[in-house]
Amino acid sequence: MYLVKDLYERHGARLGLELTAGKAGMNRKIQVPEAQRPGLSLSGYMKNHASKRVLIFGKVEIEYLSDLEPHVRIARLETIITDHTPAIIIARRYRPPKELRALCERQSIPLFRTNLATMDLLSKMILLLTEEFSPSISCHGTLVEVFGVGVLIQGDSAVGKSEAALGLVERGHRLISDDIVKVKKKEGSYLEGSGAALTRHHMEIRGIGIINVANLYGAVCVRNQKSLDIVVRLEVWQDDQFYDRIGLEEKFTTILDINLPYHILPVKPGRDVVLLLETIALNHRLKNMGYNSAQEFSSKVLELTSAKSRHRTIKFKVDKKTVSEGITV
Amino acid sequence: MKIVRKVQVKNAMGLHTRPATTIVKLLQNCPCDVTFTHKQDTVNAKSILSLLMLAATKNSKITIVVEGDEADVTMNKLVQAFENQFGE
Repeated sequence: MYLVKDLYERHGARLGLELTAGKAGMNRKIQVPEAQRPGLSLSGYMKNHASKRVLIFGKVEIEYLSDLEPHVRIARLETIITDHTPAIIIARRYRPPKELRALCERQSIPLFRTNLATMDLLSKMILLLTEEFSPSISCHGTLVEVFGVGVLIQGDSAVGKSEAALGLVERGHRLISDDIVKVKKKEGSYLEGSGAALTRHHMEIRGIGIINVANLYGAVCVRNQKSLDIVVRLEVWQDDQFYDRIGLEEKFTTILDINLPYHILPVKPGRDVVLLLETIALNHRLKNMGYNSAQEFSSKVLELTSAKSRHRTIKFKVDKKTVSEGITV
Repeated sequence: MKIVRKVQVKNAMGLHTRPATTIVKLLQNCPCDVTFTHKQDTVNAKSILSLLMLAATKNSKITIVVEGDEADVTMNKLVQAFENQFGE
């Protein structure tokens, strides 16, 4: 549930919002991530009017209203400003018509003013609201940036996720969040992970306790958010399990309807998990650059084996000829 | 087996580090999956940092979900711990 109060508290300063009327309505819900200029609706055309949107009044709206007769102005405003309207913002710091102020006060609809130009305000509002409304979930795991690749390390508790992440941080990579990662879908196409404000940059290491990575290793070793590029699941090594030996088949996992490359990494004493995670991240980068080590190697082998078989066929044909010639002679 | 129950934090200082440690200790060898939901956040109850992230104050309501073998035993232990205010 997103309230007008949330918009004001989180983005008020950025948008330069100044509350002028309707303070009592700060707990109104913003139900859709949309904002609009009510130009056409103000002229009286109300067909398909979206009543749940945040309304933005610009130069045109304010001047049009001032040109109207007072009673028409009130009537038009009353038609577009209903109980569903979450809030109204006036751009370019225009003085709101007194009828609008009175109506907002009466209906408890927050009325703001800002210095921003109308189009600037509109685009910022749409971007902000889309981001606030984008789906998000909390994932159990540790998010680390390794060579610029966002790696989400998952696995059962006590498998060594935090220890692996600590090893990576020690080698100069960056921690985003340990144990719990808030994943948000951005622009509908990629995922971004971040930590909760309270536990951000903290880790719990068994036998040591809670440590602050930013203080221990320096600000360079932490980040507040990072795109999620690959998911690695750490598993305790099982002898009867067959683990990927070639890497030709890519596995994927889905988070918030987005497919992410998925690796299962078996852990056992003697396997340097930190080095393996670095290798996975580097290999991912290489794949993004268009080079797939496994495919390249496989095609080399294929070329060689098919060349051999071709050579054998030619030799067989020559032998056959010799034989037949022998018969003729 | 899956059991869902709602409990209230009775400690004056809320769900701080000591109660969180008690919960994690209690669940250490538990075979079930246990999650706590507070407001809109659902977290793994076997992780201290996740529990602390909830920042649950006194009188906060927490929904506990226990899933797996012996879920009823685990749930009873948890509810009792909340009732006892984690021995504080």
